[in-house]
Amino acid sequence: MTAGAGLALRAAGVGVELDGRRVLDDVSFEVGRGEFCCLCGPNGGGKTTLLKAALGLLPLAAGTIEVLGRTPAQARRQVGYLPQAKGFNPGFPARAVELILANRRGAWPLRITAAERERARLALARVGGERLLDAPLRALSGGEIQRVFLARALINEPALLLLDEPTAGVDARGRAEFLELLAGVAERDDVAAVLVTHNAAAARRLADRVVYLDGRVRAWGEAAEVLDRDWERGAFAGHDHAAPASLLCEDE
Amino acid sequence: MGELAGALLSPLAQGFVLRALGAGIVLGSAGALLGVFIVQRGLGLLSDGLAHATFGGLALGLLLGAGVDRAAFVALPFTVAIALAIQYVRRRSGLGADVATGVFFAVSFAAGILFLGLRSARSAPVNVESLLFGSLLAVSPEALWLILGVALLVALVLIWIGPRLAYATFDPELATLSGVPVAALEYALLALTALVVVVGVKTVGVVLVSAFVVIPAATANLLGRSLAGIAALSVLVSAAGTAFGLFAAYHLNVATGATIILTLGAAFFLALVVRRR
Repeated sequence: MTAGAGLALRAAGVGVELDGRRVLDDVSFEVGRGEFCCLCGPNGGGKTTLLKAALGLLPLAAGTIEVLGRTPAQARRQVGYLPQAKGFNPGFPARAVELILANRRGAWPLRITAAERERARLALARVGGERLLDAPLRALSGGEIQRVFLARALINEPALLLLDEPTAGVDARGRAEFLELLAGVAERDDVAAVLVTHNAAAARRLADRVVYLDGRVRAWGEAAEVLDRDWERGAFAGHDHAAPASLLCEDE
Repeated sequence: MGELAGALLSPLAQGFVLRALGAGIVLGSAGALLGVFIVQRGLGLLSDGLAHATFGGLALGLLLGAGVDRAAFVALPFTVAIALAIQYVRRRSGLGADVATGVFFAVSFAAGILFLGLRSARSAPVNVESLLFGSLLAVSPEALWLILGVALLVALVLIWIGPRLAYATFDPELATLSGVPVAALEYALLALTALVVVVGVKTVGVVLVSAFVVIPAATANLLGRSLAGIAALSVLVSAAGTAFGLFAAYHLNVATGATIILTLGAAFFLALVVRRR
């Protein structure tokens, strides 16, 4: 049994270098199972880098990361990931049902059984996107694509969700709806989540705990405790992080 | 009507035409299947670069004393090595595929010219034109068996890795997270393409072989709505274009390889028009 076996995510003294530059240094924090953690901080503070390290996509220069008590590479199948930048090939003839099932199979589904299709439909229904099942990805809006990617992340019944600014580029209404959806999924399914966000109101509304990351962990604790400190306003994209927690009103 | 069909198909009575048709369809189908992934990845120039690398490999074979037919057995490992080197440079340097391909394309072709020059001092000159433009109608039974073997290998490997390769083609990062060995599959794709290009050079030549890989897949990509549909359509376009081009070239008494490629090109532009509507 490892030290982090009871945790969803444990970072201990993590350092990451990109092109010879230290992006993360001595980063330590923990996320409990079923806990919702928001990762805040200024642009360039290493939030996305930390998520990629937790997914095993980047090597660590120092420290360790345990995901569900295992190494990031070992735990990948139990982690649902929602990337910020959608790096998929826009010319690829992909439908939502295929993308969702690809994550389950570990291969692109050239043929889909009725049982698989039903499973994908249920995953999309959980995120309010059932009608998108056979839609080509290239025809979907930003908000619809996020729902499909969230369904993809949920298809393997993950114990941990890593969400990298999932509402970036989505309009205010879509953003609010999506964040409410995330809150519902995490609560209903008792899934731990780490959400990278610049939206202070979302962090207040969703987070059990907040990590403020600026290359190092500047603060880690209860949402109010961290967010009410006098941080640089730029960390929250120029918006008052102490504003009332109405997700419908808050801009990122 | 029956007489017309009989007259049009009469070339099939001759063994060399039948071999050419079989070689063209089998080779074109293998190229068309690989082309689906090559085109989706924006690597259309790669097969052209590999064809020029094949010229270098064939020239090396001739320099080492092999005949024109046997030189292919030197060109095979030579071109596969160039394909793997292109992929290695892409991954390690971050340079675009077109840049890495362009470097190896030029170096291999220049080396080929140098090899031929070195050889000509001691041996009879080689018909460079036959290397550049190939001769589908001159496919020997031995070459046909080689084409069948390579096409079978391509088909089997694609059945094995195709769905994972497709996932990696859609999004390498997501595929990696789902456990797909993205780098290994990319090396495999390039190695298979190199194999098809080498045997293709002997049938349609250095200049035109990349069309076998790119044009049917590009045509299918314009019309297909799923990956499986695009793959099937790509093979169909390739086979139909090869057969039509071969018969047209025979009856019109014009260059076979060029006619096949022009037929495939016509299919591509027709697909463009159909798609716009």
